[in-house]
Amino acid sequence: MSKLKRSIIAWALLSPLVVLSLFPFAVMFITAVKPQAEVLNPTWWPSEIRWQNFIDMWTVTNFGRALFNSLYTSLIATIGAILISIPAAYALSRFRFRGRGAFNQFLLISQMLSPIVLVVGLFRLIAALGLVDNVPTVGVIYMAFNIAFTVWMLQSYFATIPKDLEEAAWMEGASRGQTLIKVFLPLVTPAIAVTAIFTFINAWNEFVIALTLLRRQESYTLPIQVFSLVAGRYTVEWHHVMAATLVATIPVAILFAWLQRYLVRGLSLGAVK
Amino acid sequence: MTSRQTAIPYLLILPSLVLAAAIIFWPVGSLIEIATNDVNRFGQLKGWNDFANFSALFANADFISALWRTGLWTVLVVGGALLVSVPVALILNEDFYGRDIARVILMLPWAVSLTMTAVVWRWSLNGESGMLNSALMGLGIISENVQWLASGDLAFAMQVLIGILVTVPFTTTIFLGGLSSIPQDLYEASALEGASRLQQFRHITLPLLKPFINIALVLNTIYVFNSFPIIWVTTQGGPANSTDILVTHLYKLGFRIGKLGEASAVSLIMLAILLVFTIIYVRLAMKEREA
Repeated sequence: MSKLKRSIIAWALLSPLVVLSLFPFAVMFITAVKPQAEVLNPTWWPSEIRWQNFIDMWTVTNFGRALFNSLYTSLIATIGAILISIPAAYALSRFRFRGRGAFNQFLLISQMLSPIVLVVGLFRLIAALGLVDNVPTVGVIYMAFNIAFTVWMLQSYFATIPKDLEEAAWMEGASRGQTLIKVFLPLVTPAIAVTAIFTFINAWNEFVIALTLLRRQESYTLPIQVFSLVAGRYTVEWHHVMAATLVATIPVAILFAWLQRYLVRGLSLGAVK
Repeated sequence: MTSRQTAIPYLLILPSLVLAAAIIFWPVGSLIEIATNDVNRFGQLKGWNDFANFSALFANADFISALWRTGLWTVLVVGGALLVSVPVALILNEDFYGRDIARVILMLPWAVSLTMTAVVWRWSLNGESGMLNSALMGLGIISENVQWLASGDLAFAMQVLIGILVTVPFTTTIFLGGLSSIPQDLYEASALEGASRLQQFRHITLPLLKPFINIALVLNTIYVFNSFPIIWVTTQGGPANSTDILVTHLYKLGFRIGKLGEASAVSLIMLAILLVFTIIYVRLAMKEREA
């Protein structure tokens, strides 16, 4: 079979899924640029493209505040989870110690306990501490829920770095700490960057914890802000909602589509190691 | 080795251990406490109650139907995603023009948060002016608006389809990893002996892909069983609780009706089920490692 023929058959077979995958993006974009009057008219194409909708959306949906809250929680989660996970992943990949297996199982179980299952207990804990509706607290909770993932991702990369380089540095009289900072960390920077980006995306997309713990509109993150524009309302300004969804989604979607092939290692190798 | 050196790995794992234990395992203890006590809607405990919260759940028709629907939801989404992903991975493993673009497009549903995906579908499936109705009418497939989310059965079917769509990319990625690990000479050798492509698929590809299928099955089961945003955002379990699964039922019990004891009991039942899935996963992962 020629490559051309093969290509035609492949695209024909994939086309239903390609259409379904692109459909939500088409809906977001077309609705976002429609004039308000045409949104509730069942037509597919807009009569004109209204970029102004994006500017109106920014103020009407309180987008800036929600964007700030999303960035704030996601950065706390990412920086914290990475700083805490680097030493743990280093210990798992460079030391043999009693309880290593138990620590791995602890991580596996913590990965299995999803926020939605724990939400009542979590709310009780946070309420007892008086931290309901506190934006940084949500970031710290995301940090905790991402630790298993970040430790596994980092450990699977750390294990691929040969020990010779570190041993050579020790021979020349460098201390373990110096070797770690000067030799080991520079080698694993790409792995740390990739892991950090995925942690950021996880936190950026989180729904249940933010829905439960953030009560006032000023503290909403983007998913909750967008959801609040849709849920329990008689009239929904769909062109603003879709504009907000599009702006909140596109940067993260591009990052993700670019980096997703690195992700599977962390997700599927975790329990094996 | 000095005792100072043996302490090093423990000091390195300590911060992660403390944080995860405080935020993830402390609530589990709290759930056990609430589930086994009488509790008012402000979370004050009123004493041990002989598992009354659990018996109240099993006497509640909404819980029982949510339990069954969770099983149906998990089986349909995980099974559907598997049936779609095997052929998609086989196609993407072939060499054809535009393969890299096809891969990126098919990964997109995974790249968007479930909340945003569900908001977009809620609008697309809007009965009066949704974009799906206008697209289908424009293509001449339907002649009048379909109320996609107004009846429980149709709404649930749509939610299952959305669930499958967002589960396919992850599943396909795992299978592509599996396919790339199959040595090419196996196919060449079997072709020399006159094996057809179907025979190659049944006797080479499928058996060697099986460990990856198992891992995808268990991981997807855990994710889908826990999946909250698709159903919550599109219908909030409605109309009349007819699309509730355990997680949405739990959320309503806890944060709408204020029955914290029963909500915690649902959580513990889910934890028990999840523990079984996790043990299956560890077994499979260990087996694969030995192989």
